[in-house]
Amino acid sequence: MQTKDPKKILIVEDEKELVLGLATLLKSHGYSIVVAYDSLFGISLAHKENPDLIILDLGLPAGGGLYVLESLKNSVETVDIPILILTAQQGGDLEEKAKRIGALAYLHKPFDPELLLNKINEALSA
Amino acid sequence: MDKRDKTKTTDYKLVIQELKENPYKRLNIAFALMVIVPFLAFLYLLTSRLFTIDILIGNTGFILGVTFFISICGFYIAYNILKKIFNKILDYAFQAKHSDQLKSTFVATVSHELKNPLSSIKINIYNIFAGFIGQINEEQKKVLQLCQVTIERMARLINGLLDLHKIEAGVANLKRNRFNLAEISARQINELQTLADKKNVKIIKEFLDESLTVWGDEDKLSQAIVNLLSNGIKFAPENGAVTLKIYSDSTFAKIECVDTGPGIPDNKVNMLFNKFERLNSVEEGTGLGLAITKDIVELHRGKILVESQVGRGSKFIILLPRDLRETKR
Repeated sequence: MQTKDPKKILIVEDEKELVLGLATLLKSHGYSIVVAYDSLFGISLAHKENPDLIILDLGLPAGGGLYVLESLKNSVETVDIPILILTAQQGGDLEEKAKRIGALAYLHKPFDPELLLNKINEALSA
Repeated sequence: MDKRDKTKTTDYKLVIQELKENPYKRLNIAFALMVIVPFLAFLYLLTSRLFTIDILIGNTGFILGVTFFISICGFYIAYNILKKIFNKILDYAFQAKHSDQLKSTFVATVSHELKNPLSSIKINIYNIFAGFIGQINEEQKKVLQLCQVTIERMARLINGLLDLHKIEAGVANLKRNRFNLAEISARQINELQTLADKKNVKIIKEFLDESLTVWGDEDKLSQAIVNLLSNGIKFAPENGAVTLKIYSDSTFAKIECVDTGPGIPDNKVNMLFNKFERLNSVEEGTGLGLAITKDIVELHRGKILVESQVGRGSKFIILLPRDLRETKR
């Protein structure tokens, strides 16, 4: 559990029940949470809040997750923020494409919460 | 692919049916008008040995005029029939493309619409189970554990259905490369070792040809090997064994999975590869694993064989053509 200087995680996900679950899980592990429910708000919040890590869904309204990923990796302010992809989309090259653009990890829904926590720990301790 | 060739033939027949009558009959008449009538007129002129001036006046000129008119009519009829046929073919090509797009969209929609809510249920149950929302008693924990098992089963079922749909709809593309069969088999054995240890089942490697390579989709063939191995482990009794053998002859690379399970009665062997077929309903499973395995093997132009004896166990053999590059998809 982290008590001092909590790391900030931005969740960009449109499924409200999933956001509730993610927020509960991450808060209980000492992280502070900010949430965006669509692509454009996600990009603006990433610039405004400067989170330590972003959890990004690919099937998002208003542009889609790959657009968010590309925008954030093309911006000097947000290029270094590690981004974990959480997605239900199954497409031949999606994973390769996301990793090529700069995603740190790619988790398929329904994901194992412990695996997600491990990936977040790895990303934030690196 | 054989399946695709058959579809093409059917499409072609449908085009003909849609035109309500066989266009070739009318095309034959049209070509007769275009070719045979002018040819007969030409023959008549040759045999009549008339001078050029005689051709242009009198009966001969009239015959030529009529011949020319008939020929033009023939061209016109042929042009219209060919136009109709090409339009129908274009319509079918468009429909076929649209139908492929629909299949891909179906896969994407099902993925999204089923997996998202399942993820929400899974993480929220995990949170309650872990006590992040408040303390729960042991009995409540047991119920939640049952829910977690069901969620895992649903996730496997959704993934299985999507895999099967992609393969059968022709949406799944093989990403081929040349790889070592023994290496990927060893990797799959490692992945399933924990499952085997839980049941105290021994996995025996018999790689008779360790340098054997095949030209295929590494991920999909790994999935086929995992399916056979996990089935073997599932049905093997405690302290039983599953043997994975890799060998080859001049035609095929062979993967053989032998278990010491209860075996399959002869009258049920044919049902093994049916979707949702679970011959032993006591064992947990989606009933899709062997159907997917068979489809994967057939995508590689291979075969899967089964030999089984009740009370002694079962043997599944995957045969893959040695050089798949020679057999175009």
